[in-house]
Amino acid sequence: MLDLIKIEYKKIIPYRTFWVIFGLVFLLTPAVFYGIGQMGNDTVSFSSIYQFPDVWNNITYLGSWFNLLIGMCVVILICNEFSFKTFRQHVIDGQDKVDFIVSKVLLIVSFALFSALYLFIVGFLFGSISGGSDVSFVKDIKYLLIYFIQAIGYMSVALIVATLVRSTALSIILFLSSIAIESIIQLAIPYPFDKYFPMEIIANLTPNPFLKDIAVQPGIEIANPLAEAQIPLNTTLIVAVVYIFIFWGITYFILTKKDIK
Amino acid sequence: MTAVLNINGISKSYGKVKALNNLTLQINQGEVFGILGPNGSGKTTTLGIILDVLNADAGSFTWNGEAPSKYSRKKIGSLLETPNFYPYLTARQNLSIVCKIKEVNESEVDRVLSVVDLISRANSKFKTFSLGMKQRLAIASALLGNPDTLVLDEPTNGLDPQGIAEIRAIILDLANEGKTIIMASHILDEVEKTCTHVAVLKLGNLLTHGPIQTILNTQEQVCVSSDDLEILKLTLSQIDGVSNINQTGGKIYLMLAEGKDSAYLNKALFDKGIVASEIGIQKSDLEANFLELIK
Repeated sequence: MLDLIKIEYKKIIPYRTFWVIFGLVFLLTPAVFYGIGQMGNDTVSFSSIYQFPDVWNNITYLGSWFNLLIGMCVVILICNEFSFKTFRQHVIDGQDKVDFIVSKVLLIVSFALFSALYLFIVGFLFGSISGGSDVSFVKDIKYLLIYFIQAIGYMSVALIVATLVRSTALSIILFLSSIAIESIIQLAIPYPFDKYFPMEIIANLTPNPFLKDIAVQPGIEIANPLAEAQIPLNTTLIVAVVYIFIFWGITYFILTKKDIK
Repeated sequence: MTAVLNINGISKSYGKVKALNNLTLQINQGEVFGILGPNGSGKTTTLGIILDVLNADAGSFTWNGEAPSKYSRKKIGSLLETPNFYPYLTARQNLSIVCKIKEVNESEVDRVLSVVDLISRANSKFKTFSLGMKQRLAIASALLGNPDTLVLDEPTNGLDPQGIAEIRAIILDLANEGKTIIMASHILDEVEKTCTHVAVLKLGNLLTHGPIQTILNTQEQVCVSSDDLEILKLTLSQIDGVSNINQTGGKIYLMLAEGKDSAYLNKALFDKGIVASEIGIQKSDLEANFLELIK
């Protein structure tokens, strides 16, 4: 296991695309987060988004958008294995299809871990510097764990798309449009089953903090259809984890069925 | 002799095309086994199956008597079709990944790079390599860990004459060390110069296999000519120990049984009243034999 992840990092540490994507994500996350907090005017201020404990929901919601970029990185890395024919070469040299899946899952989990750790650092710094709240920083820190699962979820979708399609450009397009494709299919599915589609479940892991605010606002009588239809976060989490395991299983199934070209 | 590789009734189809039809072969330790055949005869398909990148539709195979696994592949040095490496990594970085997969000490990298004469380019990126250098790096990769068995698919593909000679020398050295080498090729010259045994494939069918001398008839041929070829041919067919008579151009080629030489033939013809205008000994034409085989 340790050797497998070492091999993965031997491949990507000298790879410039990897650094560009992660550099972009790690630079943009705090920059955009700071930017949003500075928006607003004399009457409305957003600066409270930095404060504990809300900072955890806010930063992970922002981070969830960057998960798409990290997912793209995973698509590129996996498609590379097919276009360079290095997956085939690894099999010839003495790996098997299980090693391939385990390597990529380990890579995905390590990416999710680094991203979650980075969001913790950014969130902690923003929360500490902004002050204005006596709440302990560990309150609502569960959002980081949920973000971690979500990151694995998006990257597992990337894994399945890349393994199935194998062409980098096509895979990226399919990965990015998977949410749109899913919403079209959802139209034909009756409520509440349409709420359990994988991309929606994964996306809902980091709930939109602004929607939440509207929903809990006292005095607003208009029922918020979006908030009402929400599945509880715990259920979402369990369904997401189940989906992730299904994705890994399907990826393995795809690999075993196809010849390694 | 111990069988290194046992192939048992392997078949493989791509849609309607039958790429390999019920192939059964045994390759023993120390053999340099050439798999010959024209393009599309199933050479690479065979190697792909025994290296587990292609799934056979039927049949089975064993390495050293054991069912194939990733562990058996770690001990085989292989080059299948094109050299496959990460273009953005250097030769050394690429080989160090292979070392990790094969569980081989990383000190092997410099040794194999020296063998294929690439040590001076060890820190150049793979994408900057010429076709010949890529091929040599792939051979270096196959040599990592000094495996007892090598599977080489057209090892001299893309190399210049000097490179071909160098790789051939490497292969012969390995063969002399007693390693088992399984090699696919359509270059007859290459097979003749390196292989001890051959199998000939055509459209997925095994036509013949065995030691190279018997299969490709590396036996000597005698060439005879005289004024009247028809009478000569008729007379020759009556002489004891003469076989495989055939006429090409203005000459007749034949084979003599063991112990009979051209002097014997000359005397026999003379006794029957025929004076040969030419009697010569000729190495058999490998290409002609091969083309005859796959006809």
